[in-house]
Amino acid sequence: MNPGMKLINLSVKYPKTTIGITSLITVLIILIVAISNLTNLLPFIPKIKIDTDPENMLRKDEPVRVFHNEMQKQFTIYEIVVLGVVNEKHPQGVFNAETLNKIYQLTEFAKTLQWENPQNPDSYDGVIPPEIIAPSTVDNVEQGGIGEVRFEWLMPTPPKTDEEALVIKKKAEKLPFLRNTLISEDGKAIAIYIPITAKNQSYRVSKSLEKKIEEIKGEEKFYITGLPVANDTFGVEMFKQMSISSPLAMIVIFLLMWFFFRKIILILSPLIVAVITTVWTMGLLVLSGNTVHIMSSMIPVFIMPISVLDSIHILSEFFERYSKNKPRNEIIMDVMNTLFYPMLYTSLTTLAGFASLALTPNPPVQVFGIFIAIGVAIAWILTMTFIPAYAMLLSEKKLENFGASVKKTSHEEEEKSILAKSLYALGRFTYNRYKLILLGTAILVITAIYGITLIEVNDNPTRWFKSTHKIRIADAVLNKHFGGTYMAYLALRSDESQFSFENYEKDFKKRLKNWFEKNGVEEQKSREIVEKTHNELLNIYNTHRPNELNSTLEALQNWCEEQLNNSDTQSQEVWELTERFVGLELQRDEIFKQPEMLQYIEQINSAMEKTGIVGKTNSLPTLVKTVHRELMGGDEKEYRIPDTSRAVAQCIITYEGSHRPQDIYHFVTPDYKSASIWVQLKSGDNKDMTKVVEAVDKFIKSNPPPFPLKYDWYGLTYINVVWQKKMVIGMLEAFLGSFLVVLAMMIILFRSGLWGLLSMIPLTITIGAIYGAIGLIGKYYDMPVAVLSSLTLGLAVDYAIHFLARGRVAYNETGSWEKAHTILFGETARALYRNIIVIALGFTPLLLAPLVPYITVGTFMASIMLFSGIGTLIILPALARLFEPLLFPKNRLCSITCMCNTCIVTGITIVAAVALNLYQFLNIGWTKLTWVSLTAILILSVVCFISSRRNQCKPCIEDNKQQNTNLK
Amino acid sequence: MRKLYYPLITCIAILGSLLFTRSTHPQDLTNVNEIVKKANHSAYYQGKDGKAVVKMTIKDAQGRERTRELTILRKNMDDKDEEQRFYVYFHQPADVRDTVFMVHKYVGKDDDRWLYLPALDVVKRIAASDERTSFVGSHFFYEDVSGRGIDEDNHELIETTQNFYVLKNTPKNPQNVEFDSYKVYIHKGTFLPIKAEYEKNGKVYRVMEALEVKEIQGYPTVIKAKMTDTNIGGETLLEYSEVKYDIGLPDEVFTERFLRKPPREYLK
Repeated sequence: MNPGMKLINLSVKYPKTTIGITSLITVLIILIVAISNLTNLLPFIPKIKIDTDPENMLRKDEPVRVFHNEMQKQFTIYEIVVLGVVNEKHPQGVFNAETLNKIYQLTEFAKTLQWENPQNPDSYDGVIPPEIIAPSTVDNVEQGGIGEVRFEWLMPTPPKTDEEALVIKKKAEKLPFLRNTLISEDGKAIAIYIPITAKNQSYRVSKSLEKKIEEIKGEEKFYITGLPVANDTFGVEMFKQMSISSPLAMIVIFLLMWFFFRKIILILSPLIVAVITTVWTMGLLVLSGNTVHIMSSMIPVFIMPISVLDSIHILSEFFERYSKNKPRNEIIMDVMNTLFYPMLYTSLTTLAGFASLALTPNPPVQVFGIFIAIGVAIAWILTMTFIPAYAMLLSEKKLENFGASVKKTSHEEEEKSILAKSLYALGRFTYNRYKLILLGTAILVITAIYGITLIEVNDNPTRWFKSTHKIRIADAVLNKHFGGTYMAYLALRSDESQFSFENYEKDFKKRLKNWFEKNGVEEQKSREIVEKTHNELLNIYNTHRPNELNSTLEALQNWCEEQLNNSDTQSQEVWELTERFVGLELQRDEIFKQPEMLQYIEQINSAMEKTGIVGKTNSLPTLVKTVHRELMGGDEKEYRIPDTSRAVAQCIITYEGSHRPQDIYHFVTPDYKSASIWVQLKSGDNKDMTKVVEAVDKFIKSNPPPFPLKYDWYGLTYINVVWQKKMVIGMLEAFLGSFLVVLAMMIILFRSGLWGLLSMIPLTITIGAIYGAIGLIGKYYDMPVAVLSSLTLGLAVDYAIHFLARGRVAYNETGSWEKAHTILFGETARALYRNIIVIALGFTPLLLAPLVPYITVGTFMASIMLFSGIGTLIILPALARLFEPLLFPKNRLCSITCMCNTCIVTGITIVAAVALNLYQFLNIGWTKLTWVSLTAILILSVVCFISSRRNQCKPCIEDNKQQNTNLK
Repeated sequence: MRKLYYPLITCIAILGSLLFTRSTHPQDLTNVNEIVKKANHSAYYQGKDGKAVVKMTIKDAQGRERTRELTILRKNMDDKDEEQRFYVYFHQPADVRDTVFMVHKYVGKDDDRWLYLPALDVVKRIAASDERTSFVGSHFFYEDVSGRGIDEDNHELIETTQNFYVLKNTPKNPQNVEFDSYKVYIHKGTFLPIKAEYEKNGKVYRVMEALEVKEIQGYPTVIKAKMTDTNIGGETLLEYSEVKYDIGLPDEVFTERFLRKPPREYLK
């Protein structure tokens, strides 16, 4: 007896102890979690940690996140809650006294949304008042009297009349920074941008705002949006869903099982197993200090069907064999004996499918995969112990009228039922029309492949809500009125590593000459001093200050001053000019004051806007051009970048005399070596963000920047793209890896490469059909879809294992597939059918959820069941019919190490699986890995060859040879 | 209304206070208006005129620094501590050299302000809805530099310590300013305000401090002052050098003509 069967035997012997221990552990876990979370009595036990931030799909030290944080700090950029106010009823849109009054009140209210930071009493959580962008908190720059420029708050106090409101509109419209950002083109909407100290503050900020809106609402409509709000809201709703969907799924599964088995007392046991498995798994998750993330919140939903599956097989079998006259423990041991290996393998394959997720680069997916794998293991142990123990303890009375043998009539009835008849018919169909089936399969496969090529990878956390959800509505409305509420930022940084003194000194000479010309220095004098200064520059750089431009220029400046002091009055003026020039040269590394660089930013901006996805960009040129226009008399022609870096600097210093000088440093660092472009996207779809990224890449590639430049993206919208990319590739690799692992397991289980491949067919077809359908109907391949592929792997192979394992037994009993298939399409097909229905329908409650990922899971479950059902009950038998002679050789099955070919196939599969996993885990290059793998395969082949010629193998092989010759 | 000037900013260091407290202070003043007047005078109106080179170091919330160097010329236009003129000339950074900011300060009407930008060759009058805009990008407001009118606030002497009169000032027109009130510590001996704390919703968010005081030509003068702002983060340090009083600045220096042609003899 193997250890597994020993365990079952123990549970059958001591059913009360088994159930007692199980209950004790369950109660203990519940108590520990409850006590540590509700009181402080167990400080060493971790409390429940909840995290709904999709950013955490990436590790904290992922370069893009580190860069994002670094840039957010450098440009003092915060996460933003967007409050949109739309007035479609008033003829003046939002620009009427009443609406502006409300906007003013809301802004003032938002300023007060601060809470003490529990970790640090000196700081606070919530809104950052000085950074709010609202009509009453931004500056207006405009023409005053003749030769006068005015700086004033755009709306220092709310207007008293509608006329005053119109004046504010006029002013705001003239400010490019605000157009399409603060006010909409049609004047019907205003957006208030409320920066918050951290993303996780958005929910309480938006809740408080909602309350305030409730007080003042009128003809206006108010919308709250922004990625942080979407994330936070999702988190909150996710937990609501968890507490509604999972129990609901439980109830449906219960009802279906009741329908099939009619004995509440018996079907309670799978439900108890499901609940206990969920409690243990989630308990372990929390107690091990792991975070409950969007992903891990779905663990119960995944665990339940898996843990019910095996129990259904046991129940079915028990139902068939139960008889009052036979000792209960014998029946149970018989049942378990029949099912032990199929159940072990189905559990192992499911476990492998999910455990493979541990190799993805996304921490929440890893946790998700590992804990479902743990859940599968727990479910298996409970199925092996708890279910037999439970069945032992049931009294005879409660099992009255149960079982096939007692009620032969009912059994016979069942054989005559519509279900049985149609399944038999199906069986005959697969036998007679196998060519038709295989043709259909081929068409399905081709269509699926075509569909898969159409798959569009895309995600958008806002889309995790149904289109009727208020977040989606707010998103749609605000993005219609404004340049976009999804923010991404493009950081441009001076790349000083590309500096070349050789180029520099040549340009220096040219620039000095131009400078003299502009300042009216006569030509001969100019030539003389340019030469002299240039020589001194080379001299200092090469002899005194090797490779240090800044100190060279400083020394040169001092030298100019010396010349100035030692020269006659005539030359003095020129030397002073030279000294000034060198001073400006010292600032030449402030590249974002150079007009050509600002022009370049403008070109990048228009390249982005051409995509149609970017509704608005704000950057340093926006501010400089506005100030320049107002300084030069307000004419629209003067809305341009001035010609010199000095003029740029002077526009900036003028702006610095406003109420919000700090705004400049959202766009450029104080050293003017890095700049940031604010990009407002109308859509948070990753594919749209990707298009913008590609547009910029293309532009910069074909238009080299005037100064050496590094450019990188940051911002939440961009981070989503990065983790998605990582996840898609990671999931694909994880899937391939676990596919190979499962294949290896199947080859070992069936001791045949062909059987192993055959068992993978329903699974492959299921995956192909589902992903093909996703491509064909145009659903995006997003996070939930990616994760579900591993569920498919776990579930779809199960049916194939049960079906093929019994198929082989039936064939051995009957000697032909023609006879064997009729047996298979009896009990086995019925059990599979029940299983399929229970799981598929059990998850329909998820379809009612307001969160799209839950709907996806529900739909997926049903599709997995449908396709793997088709694959197992139709395609597998058709294939078996076609390959009958190959699949059922009249040979005795030898040990795998005795069959040279099977042994080698197994070896190759294992090596491939190991290589793939190593590749993901250690980042070893493919070439290296290929060589190592080939060597490994060669060695294994030799080992297989030698081992198959061992003495122990001889009897088996001789036997088979004998049999083959006999047949001939 | 009001206006003060020189040494640019109100405040004094403890160091300075010790220096000057040695001079006997007979009877503490109790009339708040008298204290305010005297403080206004010593903070902004000492001498007939004066000049100083100012090194301005602006440090943002992350500690990144920018420096500027300016010369400020100031002339009193009456003996009532009211009308005044300023001429602020930029030396550094190089790209803003020759930029000039000029102010004619009045009491009872808005100041006239001009800006000359050499690279664009424009002289612009600057009008602002209020005086609480940044002074050339620093944490000091325009009003901190030119002086807040003494009639704009209600003053209240809330404490007299060994060295200081502590005044609480509440704005008469609260909608024009971002603070609820501010507290000023005026040194008894010199009447230099050495610290000012601005409050909003019971929280101090903006603090001005005089860090160093020196007697120059008999006038106690703040030569180092700092403004910290926890709202936007960071601080600005002003360091005064080459301070001179009563240099006989002619009136025409403070006219538009001299914006394009800086009076070099007074700037070096």
